[in-house]
Amino acid sequence: MITISVKKGYKLSIEGVPSSESEELAKPASVAVLPERIPFIKPRLLVQTGDRVKIGSVLFEDKRNPDIKFLSPGGGEIADIRFGPRRVIKEIVIRTDDEEASEEFEVIPENDLKNIEREKLIKTILDGGLWPLIRGFPFRDIAAPDDIPPAIFVSLGASEPFQPDPEVWLKGKKELFEYGIHILQRLGQKVHVCVSRDSPFVLKEFKSLITHIYKGVYPADDPGVLLYHTKKEPLENQSWYVSAQDVLLLAQLLKTGKYPIERTVVLAGSSATEKKHIRTRLGVPLGHLADASPENNGTRYVVGGIFRGYTASESSHMGFYETSLTLLPEGKEKEMFGFIRPGFRKPSYSRTFLSSLNPSALAMDCNLRGDVRACINCGSCAKVCPVDILPQFTMKCVLADEVEEALEHGLLDCVECGLCTYVCPSKIELCTTLKDAKAAYYIEK
Amino acid sequence: MKIIKNIFDSQRKHFDKRGKWEKFYPVFEATETFFFIPDHVTQKGPHVRDSLDVKRFMSFVILALMPPLFFGIYNTGYQSNLVSGLPLDFFTVFSKGLSIVLPLIIVSYAVGFFWEFLFAIIRKHPISEGLLVTGLLFPLTLPPTIPLWQAAAGISFGVVIGKEIFGGTGRNFLNPALTGRAFIFFAYPGKMSGDSVWTVMSSVKTSAVDTFSGATPLAIASITETYGNIEASLSKAGFTFSTLFWGNHTGSIGETSSFLCLIGAMILIVVGVASYKIIIGGVLGALITGGLLNLIATEASMPWLSLNPFYHLVMGGFAFGIAYMATDPVSAPGMETAKWVYGFAIGALTILIRVFNPAYPEGVMLSILFMNLFAPLLDHFEIKVRLRRRIANV
Repeated sequence: MITISVKKGYKLSIEGVPSSESEELAKPASVAVLPERIPFIKPRLLVQTGDRVKIGSVLFEDKRNPDIKFLSPGGGEIADIRFGPRRVIKEIVIRTDDEEASEEFEVIPENDLKNIEREKLIKTILDGGLWPLIRGFPFRDIAAPDDIPPAIFVSLGASEPFQPDPEVWLKGKKELFEYGIHILQRLGQKVHVCVSRDSPFVLKEFKSLITHIYKGVYPADDPGVLLYHTKKEPLENQSWYVSAQDVLLLAQLLKTGKYPIERTVVLAGSSATEKKHIRTRLGVPLGHLADASPENNGTRYVVGGIFRGYTASESSHMGFYETSLTLLPEGKEKEMFGFIRPGFRKPSYSRTFLSSLNPSALAMDCNLRGDVRACINCGSCAKVCPVDILPQFTMKCVLADEVEEALEHGLLDCVECGLCTYVCPSKIELCTTLKDAKAAYYIEK
Repeated sequence: MKIIKNIFDSQRKHFDKRGKWEKFYPVFEATETFFFIPDHVTQKGPHVRDSLDVKRFMSFVILALMPPLFFGIYNTGYQSNLVSGLPLDFFTVFSKGLSIVLPLIIVSYAVGFFWEFLFAIIRKHPISEGLLVTGLLFPLTLPPTIPLWQAAAGISFGVVIGKEIFGGTGRNFLNPALTGRAFIFFAYPGKMSGDSVWTVMSSVKTSAVDTFSGATPLAIASITETYGNIEASLSKAGFTFSTLFWGNHTGSIGETSSFLCLIGAMILIVVGVASYKIIIGGVLGALITGGLLNLIATEASMPWLSLNPFYHLVMGGFAFGIAYMATDPVSAPGMETAKWVYGFAIGALTILIRVFNPAYPEGVMLSILFMNLFAPLLDHFEIKVRLRRRIANV
């Protein structure tokens, strides 16, 4: 086992931590797929409103590679296809039947896995609609099925507030998870299973599978960070990664021959009435996960973590990749003389508030906490960047259109963790700048 | 609180787009954000943000400036009343100092804000908090006898040429307060150097002033002629090490007390607003250079060479400059090793200018401005070295 020590990063101590209880959620009336939230794809719709679909029927494919298909997470009728500006497909909503039918896919028993051809295995995963779970560095696009990656990273960590704790969703799933790892071992040259030093349960249960142990705070568990700290040569930048919970889905698909829809998600945040783990399914409505309480007027629904997630309306659904719903107060209010208050309860990376002496978790809202200013070169962003980028300088390269220089600065190593933006006292959208530059470079490439 | 909020809310419409004072929106915004943290919310991830903003960042520099400011006011009054033969009780002295220093600060802020507002309105950028610091730093670096119009000219030059023509706070490469000081130092040398500018004489003259020379420790040191005697002649003029350290002597308004600058530096380091690397680097640079000069000092060389290096730390504006000026993050390098080099070079250059250039007894202003110019280069080299260690990813 290799130990990776990630020195930079930041642990945000914020109120609204979910309990480790997990609760089974009743069946939702509708489920959905959100093509808009799957990066880079160009969806081609294969269904229309009113069509009948089963669990696992193809809803749309990726025009860039029609082998990559996206399947229905529910059986019933296509109730609505919502379009956004410029005809972007926002949501495909399926009204679920009481008894949902399911498409059948090929079953590959564990014993056959060793002898099966790689192409055949890939085709099974592609047909089963789970290939998009496997993503490639450095752009985090869906992996190209023809490539053989130098390594596949699976990280059993949940350091971003708030993500499902592996201990909760791994309970009783040991064999399934092992099977999933074996599938990945057929796809890549190596599979790196990375676990935090601070999760004794996982360390004990999965001792035989674990290859790397990391220590560090958010985002030390990000596969991109782990890649950065383990890579020895440029070729390794072509590695892939799979979110650990999705390994279970892969295993389930091959084992049962059915499109798996189970997901454990977290409901958390200070505005959520209950903060807990929830066993539910892909694409549930947000309103079904979180009960809308009357005081929810100023509440923001964040899907996919406080740092990397996106804002969604209550009527929207969980995305294909996201496993977390955080409810935060919007915080659209003014604070008098905020800049000279002692701030015992104001969280900050800096030491300019008394909160640096206060170890307890603090309440936070979505207020920007100041106004946008020019960069004053304070260097906080470089101090937290887990992959040693110098965001304040790299941002300037990007804004000056010096693409080569930005790449030299490690733009593609950026894991889009958002910490640079978080700490910036000038409230500059550093992470968005770098992320957009990365995406623009990829599309141009 | 409600009342103030209502005033802003009722007046906002005049400053919004198509309001009758639309052009003055930056002024409105600056005034409002002084009272309230605005109600802007995050548009993209991360959805929560750190509580620190530039306003608070800069407020800490102002907070750290309070000890030298208040002592400067007291000391200016004290020195003035001392030579003028006036009573030396605390209240008289302090109000005397206030009557000298306060007009300078008011002029500095008023003229500074005039330029800042003008540029903000024309260039349509928000009014930056950097001026709150510049406007207070600048008067503290001046001799108390400076005419107000010269102070106004200095802060104008500092704000306009030192900062605004490059795009405002964050885009300047020189420290604006020092740029302003350098301007009047060269433009009006008669009011910025010499023995007579450091103390305000009151018209009531008594015999107490007979022995008064008015020279600063730096001036004494540079005219001492005998080898190995420099500390002795300093203390003969009343500048023992402890006087220099505690600051009860003549000099620019805020710079005299090294002790209080040390306290200010501590505050800045503890809250993380100033880089300890620059400050410690600067102290080391001064000590090591001073020590090396001691080694080459002989009977035939200038007596300055033989001065105990620790004296350099407490003389002149070194402590003030290294604590408050050199640590300005905008004009200092952003890379961590570069900060050591930058600080060290400021310390070393200060000593070299003091010792070898008798025309400029005060070296710290020039060495900080000089190193400001080199900060981007230092950053450039460190970034180069750092990028070479990365595994290429293109």
